Amino acid sequence: MSVRKVPTPSGTDSTRAGLGPTMRTLPRRLWRSIFRSNPLPRNELERSQAVANNFFFHIPSAKVHEHTLRPATTFGLGLISLYTFIILCVSGVLLMFYYVPTPEQAYDRMLDLRGAVFFGTFLRNLHRWAAHAMVAVVFLHMMRVFLTGAHKPPREFNWLVGLGLLVLTLAASFTGYLLPWDQLAYWAIVVGTSIAGYAPLVGDEIRFFLLGDDVVGREALLRFYVLHCVVLPLFISALVGLHFWRIRKDGGLARPGRD
Amino acid sequence: MPRPDERPSFEPFPLEPGKTYGLMAVVPARTPACETRTEEQVQAWPAALVRELLLFVVTILVLSLAALLFDAPLEGLANPLHPPNPAKAPWYFLGLQELVSYSAFWGGVGIPAIMLLVAAAAPYMEWRPGGEGVWFHKSRSAANWIFLTVVGCLGFLTVVGTFFRGENWALVMPW
Repeated sequence: MSVRKVPTPSGTDSTRAGLGPTMRTLPRRLWRSIFRSNPLPRNELERSQAVANNFFFHIPSAKVHEHTLRPATTFGLGLISLYTFIILCVSGVLLMFYYVPTPEQAYDRMLDLRGAVFFGTFLRNLHRWAAHAMVAVVFLHMMRVFLTGAHKPPREFNWLVGLGLLVLTLAASFTGYLLPWDQLAYWAIVVGTSIAGYAPLVGDEIRFFLLGDDVVGREALLRFYVLHCVVLPLFISALVGLHFWRIRKDGGLARPGRD
Repeated sequence: MPRPDERPSFEPFPLEPGKTYGLMAVVPARTPACETRTEEQVQAWPAALVRELLLFVVTILVLSLAALLFDAPLEGLANPLHPPNPAKAPWYFLGLQELVSYSAFWGGVGIPAIMLLVAAAAPYMEWRPGGEGVWFHKSRSAANWIFLTVVGCLGFLTVVGTFFRGENWALVMPW
């Protein structure tokens, strides 16, 4: 750690002088309170600190193996999954400002997005295509991990976390599918949730628990909305954090000739 | 100190008692290869972070372009009294819906549950080291073939469910 010395208020003559020195050193002290190391590093030590001292960068290590950086190692599929999730969170929050989860209003709000909201069509399109992309890329990421043997010990628990993320991704996409409340959405959810009813013994109970009713209606729309906008994104965020942290703890990405 | 009769017959120089001797070699390399792992590492800043940022920009650009060029589907208002024929689940569940058309329980519950359980068990079954970080490593060909077969079947069913199923889930040509 190279925490540079800043003027401290106690005991120095300059602070006794009053407001002037306090204000003069304020920008520098403010900057140092946020960035403990140089955010634009100039040497190896500062480059390491830029990663290790940054909340957003602290999960990846200060140094990475050359094998990790080769495009063909991962094709960046895990990162693209994260990026689509970030895009979905941002565009989703913006859509939430316009959406009302009731059977009377939901579809009208879709028409508003298309006709009355500035960039509304673009916003909805982006959310839709990013959602399809996330499902596809998460699945491709899973294929990459298996076909490169990256699920084998010591990474077997992270594979389980990844399976959890796959299921949550499908659930998030499926719950979001109902929200436009058009024919496509409605009947896809009728078909999808009827599959849950085929589970032995508790099938009907599971289906009722999902829909809050015997049919897809007002209660189902509200439940899917809350699951889609709050519950599932929270679980996904938590598991993504665990997933990334475990990559680091398991020794970085799998590479040949290490163990 | 070995006995005189155990010594090799050829000595390039007289061996001194109390010293150990090692064989060294000169190889073409830039640095002493005492800790090679460290030498293959690069600074995450900027090597990894710049690549990650670029990938983010490319992802945003591609999705934005798709959002500008293609409109998300929006059909008529949901009507519980008028089911479309056929009613289809989202595309990633169409492989399962195709299976459901053969057996409701196995397609909707049994086979997905088995697939998830087998996937969860995979790294605990295939636990011996070897082949990590290499695409299609020879020592893992059996596991890879099983995996690709399952994925291929699911993909095939999804394509059939998406493009080749018409009214009353009858087999139709998409053109």
